[in-house]
Amino acid sequence: MIAENEAQVVEAVRQARERRSTLEIVGGGTRRSAGRPMHCEAVLDVSGLRGIVTYEPEELVLTVKPATTLAEIEAVLGARNQRLGFEPQDWSSMLGSHGISTIGGAVSSDADGPAAIRFGRGRDHLLGIRAVNGFAEAFKAGGKVVKNVTGFDIPKLVCGAWGTLCVLTELTFRVFPRAQRSVVLARRGLTPPEGSARLRQAWSSPIDATGLVYANGTAFVRLEGDGPALAEKRAFLDGFEETDAIEDGFAPGALDIWRLSCRATEAVRIADSIAAPRWYGDWAGTRLWFAAGSDKAQALAAQGAQCLRGNAPPRAGDPRAELERRVKAAFDPLGLFNPGRMA
Amino acid sequence: MELPRPDPDILSRRAQIVAALKTLVGDGVVSDRAGLAAFDGDALSAYRQAPLVCVLPRTREHVAAVLRFARDNEVPIVPRGAGTSLSGGALPRADGILISLARMNRILDIDIANRAVTVEPGVTNLAITRAVEAQGFYYAPDPSSQIACTIGGNIAENSGGLHCLKYGLTTNNLLSVTHITIDGETLRLGEGFGYDLMGIVTGSEGLLGIVVEATLRILPKPPVTRTLMAAFASVPAAGQCVADIIAGGIVPAAMEFMDRSCIEAVEAYCAPGYPAGAEGVLIIDADGLGSEVDAAIARIAAIARAQGAEVREATDEAARARLWAGRKAAFPAMGRLAPDMLCMDGTIPRRMLPQVLARMGAMAREYGLGFCNVFHAGDGNLHPLIIFDAMKPGELERAEAFGADILRLCVAVGGVLTGEHGVGVEKRDLMPTMFSEADLAQQQRLKCAFDAEGLLNPGKVFPTLSACIEQGHLHVGGGRMPWPNLPRY
Repeated sequence: MIAENEAQVVEAVRQARERRSTLEIVGGGTRRSAGRPMHCEAVLDVSGLRGIVTYEPEELVLTVKPATTLAEIEAVLGARNQRLGFEPQDWSSMLGSHGISTIGGAVSSDADGPAAIRFGRGRDHLLGIRAVNGFAEAFKAGGKVVKNVTGFDIPKLVCGAWGTLCVLTELTFRVFPRAQRSVVLARRGLTPPEGSARLRQAWSSPIDATGLVYANGTAFVRLEGDGPALAEKRAFLDGFEETDAIEDGFAPGALDIWRLSCRATEAVRIADSIAAPRWYGDWAGTRLWFAAGSDKAQALAAQGAQCLRGNAPPRAGDPRAELERRVKAAFDPLGLFNPGRMA
Repeated sequence: MELPRPDPDILSRRAQIVAALKTLVGDGVVSDRAGLAAFDGDALSAYRQAPLVCVLPRTREHVAAVLRFARDNEVPIVPRGAGTSLSGGALPRADGILISLARMNRILDIDIANRAVTVEPGVTNLAITRAVEAQGFYYAPDPSSQIACTIGGNIAENSGGLHCLKYGLTTNNLLSVTHITIDGETLRLGEGFGYDLMGIVTGSEGLLGIVVEATLRILPKPPVTRTLMAAFASVPAAGQCVADIIAGGIVPAAMEFMDRSCIEAVEAYCAPGYPAGAEGVLIIDADGLGSEVDAAIARIAAIARAQGAEVREATDEAARARLWAGRKAAFPAMGRLAPDMLCMDGTIPRRMLPQVLARMGAMAREYGLGFCNVFHAGDGNLHPLIIFDAMKPGELERAEAFGADILRLCVAVGGVLTGEHGVGVEKRDLMPTMFSEADLAQQQRLKCAFDAEGLLNPGKVFPTLSACIEQGHLHVGGGRMPWPNLPRY
């Protein structure tokens, strides 16, 4: 069955509870490769939960259902010169998956794009949710205004939780104005240490770059603003030339895919130590992406990297694991939702 | 509001508790009556309660030991930063340990290359900017108490400030924290992957544990800031101006609204020179590079004039300071009109401002109380200031009832109970106006995952307590209560 409204999700979870049957929650289905192999007894298809619920450009607030496609959101916001600041990513070509990328999947997998270095990640933009927990109860958390500290910030918790806590049924985001113009600048022929230094320099200047990527010997900086602002910003960058787009050149093919977070000044050392066949650095080097064979799995896991496709060793020795287990149980005590996906 | 009745069993053990804490924290135990009086509340000044005992740890090991002690001996524990909470977040309990993080006040690391500063929780908000401004950086969240308030308190309350719309709240400017659980376990949160436990700890009002170290994001200081004042003949015109600025794609660094009562109060107090007879004044900052700021200020001025505003731009730093002086004096200016003041903190969808202000005016007449409104117009965060005299019988209760009605109104128009001050004790009993039983049950289960015995800052945020059951932390409505002697309303 394809759930089309919250009541149907509640009913599906209630039945799963009764049968103690695990559920794989699927929206667009583009991100199913992540995590440990799952053996779910049923699929809860939420692709029917789609569409814009409310959009108030003057309030900078957008409420959507979780299976709304990234393309639809971009079009609706774009018509009013707005956007999601975290630039949610469609990973289907990177992961080699089929389906259409949805906002619920992007938020659940922390699929934040280059602009997150400037505007923050999905967790910084998700203001409120409605969801169904493992007790088969519909609940809401957060709010629908841009500034709110009422109660625990549960919306943060569902970001990057890979659908293991609850089934999202509605998401409210803050949105940002879209810049008048955007330009990508590139400086080619840089070693990793040179590229890292260039990006960190740009990051610490007041140009508010919305992209700071190093890939394959090139440092990319994306700038935004009107004509005079772009001219003033470009003056901070030496030796960069205009190009069409940020080219991360990341073609994992059959290799495993990993990402990790680190301090910008550590990026090159970590990339060297992993020595993966392919890698690139986003967010001024604070987010690294690797495509590597399974021989690198231990080294990547030891650095705290997350495996998005491939066979990750089970996470071990994380002192947070016990608290995470209790947090999971607070939402889904029977372990119905996406068991193993976060392991 | 009635304070909780203390547990007589804990009161009877006071001498042993004090002696035990002295072995754990040495010189950092305050137990004499005069010493405890200094810790008997926070900036929600209507409520005063000396704690059972106050401890002032110097190290994270002290904090862990005190938390373990509280757990093993089933004594409630209330964390405190600088005690500037406006919602009673640090209000002590007669039967609880107050743990002040004020002596853990070292800046541990300044890492300009990674745009990160690592501090202990007792470092003040402003001290972070002071530590990095010479290198051209600053820490963005700037609550009005920033000279005194601590980072630990900012994290507990997810504090905001004037610049939230553009730069976010505390939660958006944190990189990682070291958190100690009620079991005394030290966890590094915010690094790597896994559940965003840092996100849930931030703004949890001391209910989930104690942060003993935080790494914060610093930002390059914008080279240019320009300020503009716009005075309006009507509130709807000011509201439309705000909507047009936002819809026009401009994100001002700050955008503050004052209503007529506030303008009159600050003119009488410090004469910032706002136009006489204005129904509303906006003070707007734009920051960034020169060309961006020039363009933004020009467009803002045009939008304001299109709404019939009288627009004045500050031409130098002194003029900027003068325009801001009135807004920054709003609290003292109102405060001198009456012996007592309540500062409320709801958020509304911006478009509702005219209706909400009109309705609040009518309420004020019904309650017979003076009030004014300051409003973080950019993000819809209202701060109605209610003035009253607590010495007059019934007036505190009337002011609180008026405040509660204002917050109910915020929720009714699609807003929330608190934009940046927190729920604390102040808004605790209003939580059901915003959240259903299922919503609150989910939050309380999360509380149980961190603190099954309910020892961390009990009596705050949640109107009723529910027992946590060990297996799966199931919520049991109307079941066994951990503190049978806690009053419930």
